[in-house]
Parts: sequence; structure tokens; C-alpha cells
Amino acid sequence: MADPLLTFDEVQHRHAVPAPKAWKPWAKRAGAGIHGISLSLYPGQVLGLVGPNGAGKTTLLRMMAGVLPIQSGTVTAPTEDRHSVAVEDLRNWAGHMPEQVRWQGAITVVDMLEQLSDMRGQRHHHLHGLLNLVGLHERAEEPLDNLSQGMRQRLSIAAALLGSPKVLLLDEPFNGLDPVAAEAFAALVRRLAGKGVSIVISSHMVTQLEGLIDRIALLHRGQLLDEGPLADVEKRLALDGRYQLTGPGELDDTNFLGHLDTDVLVTKSTEASWSLTVRGDAERVLQACNDHGLSVASWAPVKPNLVEWLCAATGMSLDDISLDVASSAMVPMMAMEAMEDE
Amino acid sequence: MSDLRRILKVAARLRNERLVGVRLKVMLPILILFLPGLAWGFSDPNIVLPGGHQPDTAMEVLFYASLGVVFGATMCGVLMAFDGVSKDRASGMLEIRLAQPMPRQHQAAALVLGHAQAILIPVYTLLILTVVVVRFRMGEWPTLTEAMVYGLSTGLIVLWYTLFALLASTTAKEQGTAIAFGVGVWFFFTFLWALVTTMVAYASGVAVGEPNDPTWVALEGMLDMLSPNGVYHHLLETQLPTIDRGIAAWQAWLAALLWTVLPWWALHRRMEALVP
Repeated sequence: MADPLLTFDEVQHRHAVPAPKAWKPWAKRAGAGIHGISLSLYPGQVLGLVGPNGAGKTTLLRMMAGVLPIQSGTVTAPTEDRHSVAVEDLRNWAGHMPEQVRWQGAITVVDMLEQLSDMRGQRHHHLHGLLNLVGLHERAEEPLDNLSQGMRQRLSIAAALLGSPKVLLLDEPFNGLDPVAAEAFAALVRRLAGKGVSIVISSHMVTQLEGLIDRIALLHRGQLLDEGPLADVEKRLALDGRYQLTGPGELDDTNFLGHLDTDVLVTKSTEASWSLTVRGDAERVLQACNDHGLSVASWAPVKPNLVEWLCAATGMSLDDISLDVASSAMVPMMAMEAMEDE
Repeated sequence: MSDLRRILKVAARLRNERLVGVRLKVMLPILILFLPGLAWGFSDPNIVLPGGHQPDTAMEVLFYASLGVVFGATMCGVLMAFDGVSKDRASGMLEIRLAQPMPRQHQAAALVLGHAQAILIPVYTLLILTVVVVRFRMGEWPTLTEAMVYGLSTGLIVLWYTLFALLASTTAKEQGTAIAFGVGVWFFFTFLWALVTTMVAYASGVAVGEPNDPTWVALEGMLDMLSPNGVYHHLLETQLPTIDRGIAAWQAWLAALLWTVLPWWALHRRMEALVP
């Protein structure tokens, strides 16, 4: 594998939350945030940042984009022999697409991009190419107020691509895109990755990232649970090699699979049909089904969803994880610093 | 592209965006009424001001007409800039701006310059008209120095209120708070400052509101240094030899410098700490 473009080592950012005291009503303390995350971004690879609401995906992306300060930890650029990359430099390296931007105003699309180009100190000659790339060339002179949600997402992508960034940070980019636009967007991401751009995509919908990401980083409550190539992480968390088989008729039992080194995860059977979800050697399971006289109508690999990823990585059940994203419950896995006041 | 050029380019885009906006169209009648309109009234040859005073020089008329700047132009400055940051924060644009490699201090400078220019262009245009109105009504031009001090002082007071509004805009989480803070500051210095002065005078045992009492005049002059409107009038008074409130010209200009530098510095600090 190529050397990483950027390496984040034990980076941390905790949001300041109000903690008023009688003698100091403006007092704040360090609240939820990102804790000691180490992560490398590789050229030409797409990293999927996956986690539930409140996991810290947006905070981490903002840190990577140089929007939020890195309170501790270091950022290095090994390929450029840079032992320390300042936050200001990160803004040069990265193109950032926030989750929701309500582009508004009477100014046109191209005027807006020119304004952002000016902020980057760049000329405007490449803007029409950029608008072509994201499919907004026919809307270049359209006022921002007239854009649909999907077009606004495309404009956000164009804004992130200004200055040909080495790292592209996309926060929930599929929100608001119709399936056609989402597919076109995925193709664009693959094309950019093919040009060597390192891409980070955050999402709480793992299925949207299938076939798009090379690596996955599993984030929960501000901490990195696991990270690596998708297949490796699946294997580590025992989420690989899962298949669902279906067929007509009734399934009495699954003892016929007992002699195989196979986990039967889910069994469903009615008088009309049956389905089995197993983890093991697919060919041997199919053979055993045939030997048992079962007619297999379909056979498909089962990809884990976000809940399964989280449950596997944390060892918690769905009930434990629940919907609780209160700030006090954000960092249960890491000891908090004694000094909380800022 | 040099840093200065980049700041000016970004400021120019902000300015142009504001200049064609609906807000300025709404403000223009107010500005016309308050700037050349007041000058028209004060330059009436038959006008008699409270106390029986009659302005008899062009600079005196401009001084009285500066009430229009204090009431109208500063308010428009606040209304122009109150959402300079908070609107972007609400729409998510702020995150995109903060992610650009332009240093935040430069972004702050562009914000200030862009918004101040957007209000100063109509204000200066109307000030020129004001001077022409005075010339038409009184047959007298202000001297070059008077005109320059008048223009510079007006530019400064509008800049100060723009800075206050932008500071509020960076601090407030939503636009309602930003405008409440901006208008509140404007209201405090424009209407309530007299109350502050009165209270301090009362506490100091000084007779309140006696224009012939040198102690009251000196106290009022001194307290005015703590208000942007007061400093503005001190600056204008440097061109009116008949008025002496115990503040030397250099002191007035020094106060003006502080009123410029301190909020600007505070805005820089806010921008550095700003989160989307």
C-alpha cells in the first residue's frame, strides 16, 4: 500500500459546553467530542466514516478540514516528509463538503464559486470545468435561491473541489440526492479516487457506501472502534462470509449443517418457504442443502448493517446502544480528564 | 495573489452583494431623509435652534446635520451587518467559508471592509449631496479640512457600528439575538447614553444639563469619550472653534483610534475562535 497522505495521531477535540456557576455564569467545560483518534488517509482510497448519530463523524471531518482546532495530537504528511501539518495547512489540503448547506441569496452559482475561489486566492478559469464535472454547467447563471436540494448538494461538491484538493471530505453527501444523482455522485467519487484524491465519506447508512469505499472507520461516541480495509474489519468483527439461502417448502431443522464449521445465524420457516442465514463456507453449505434434499431458490451474501457493525465492535446489544445520544453518555469507554473546566 | 488583494476582492464581492440587496433599497429613503434632509432643514436661513442659536457657517450646519448620521447612518450600518456571520452560520455557509485557506483574520477584515463599504458608499454619496444642499441654501462651501474631517469622522462612526454588529453576529447563535445585540448597542449609545451621563453627573454632585456650567460641560465631554457617538461629535467639534468641552483634538483622535482598534481586535479574536 502507498504511504499515507495524511496521518492523524491521537487527535482530540472536545466541544465547549456551558457549565454556568454562580460566580462565573459564562463558564464552560469540555464536553463530548473526538478522543484520541489515529487514522491515516491514503491517496486514491475512499474511507467510509461510519457511525450512528452523535458518533462524532462531523466533528472529525471538521477537524480534518481545519475548521475545528485539533486540541491535542498531531497531524503529519509522511509523503512530503512533513512532521507536523498546521490547521491552516489542512485547509489547503482538504476540500470540505458539509452535511447541509442551504445555499441562498440572489447571487448566481458561478458568482458564488468565484467568491470562494477568491478566498482560496485562485483564478476562475477552471470553474466552468468544475461546473461541468458536477452537472451544474447549465445552471451556472441561476440564482442560488432557485436551486433544488439536489443542485445545492452538487454545488457543495463543486465548492469542495475548488483548488483540486488532495483530500476530499464529504459529510453525509447522499442526503437529498435522488437515486440517479446518488449513482452519478458515486461515479464521480470513484473517478476522483482514480485520480489519486483521498476521499473520506461519512454516513450512517452503510448500504450507501457499499461498493464505494475501500476502507471503513467505525466511530462511536467519539472514539474509533475499528478501522481498516472493509474485508479485514468484517473479518475481525466476524461479519464476513455470511449468506442467506431461501427455498420453497418447510425446513424442519438445521442439524444437517451440524457437521460443517458453520454458524446458523437466523432461521425462518413457514409451510411455503424457508430462509437461512449462515456464516461459513458457502460451497459446503450449498452442497449440504442439496444433500439434504432442500431446493435452494436463492443464495446471496449478507452485508452487515450499521447496527450489526456497532454491536459487533462494541460487544453491546441493540438495547444497550439504544437511541441515547445524550452528551453525558458520549464517552463511556474512555476515562475523562480530571480537569474538565476550560 | 497577495493577502491584501485577496481581502479586497472578497470584500468587494460582499459589498456588491449588499449594494444590490433589498435591504439597502429599504434604507435609502431613511438615509435621504436623515442626511440631505436634515441638512436642508438646518440650513434654513430662518431656523432658530433651542437656546436661540442660529447656525451661521457651513460646518455648523453639517455639525447639526450629523444627528442624521448618528440616528440614521449608524442604524443602517447595524442593519446592514447584523447577519454578516449569523446568516452564514444558519445556512451552513459559514462552515464552507471557514474551511477555505484564507486566514480567519483576513476573512474578518474582508467582512468588515465589505459591510462598511456597502453602507458607506450610499452614505458618502448622500454626504456629497448634503454639502451641495448646504451650499445651495447658504451660499457657502465648507473648507477642505472641514469636509475631510466630516467625511472621515462619519466613515469612522459607521465603521464602529459595523464592527459592533459583526461582533454580535459572530457571537450570537441565531439572527434574532444578533440583531437584538446590534440594535441594543445602537440604542444604548444613541438614546440611553444621556441617562448614563445624567446619572454620573448626579452621583458626582454636578448640576445636570446646565450648558453654562463648566463642570457639567467638562464632565459631559469626558464621558462622551466613552461613547462612539460622543467621540464622533468630539471629532466634528475640532472644526468648531466656538465649542470647547475640555477635550483636545489629539485626545478625540486617540479615542477614535481606540474605538477602531479595540472592536476590530475583538472581532479578530472572535473569528479565530469561531465554530460553525
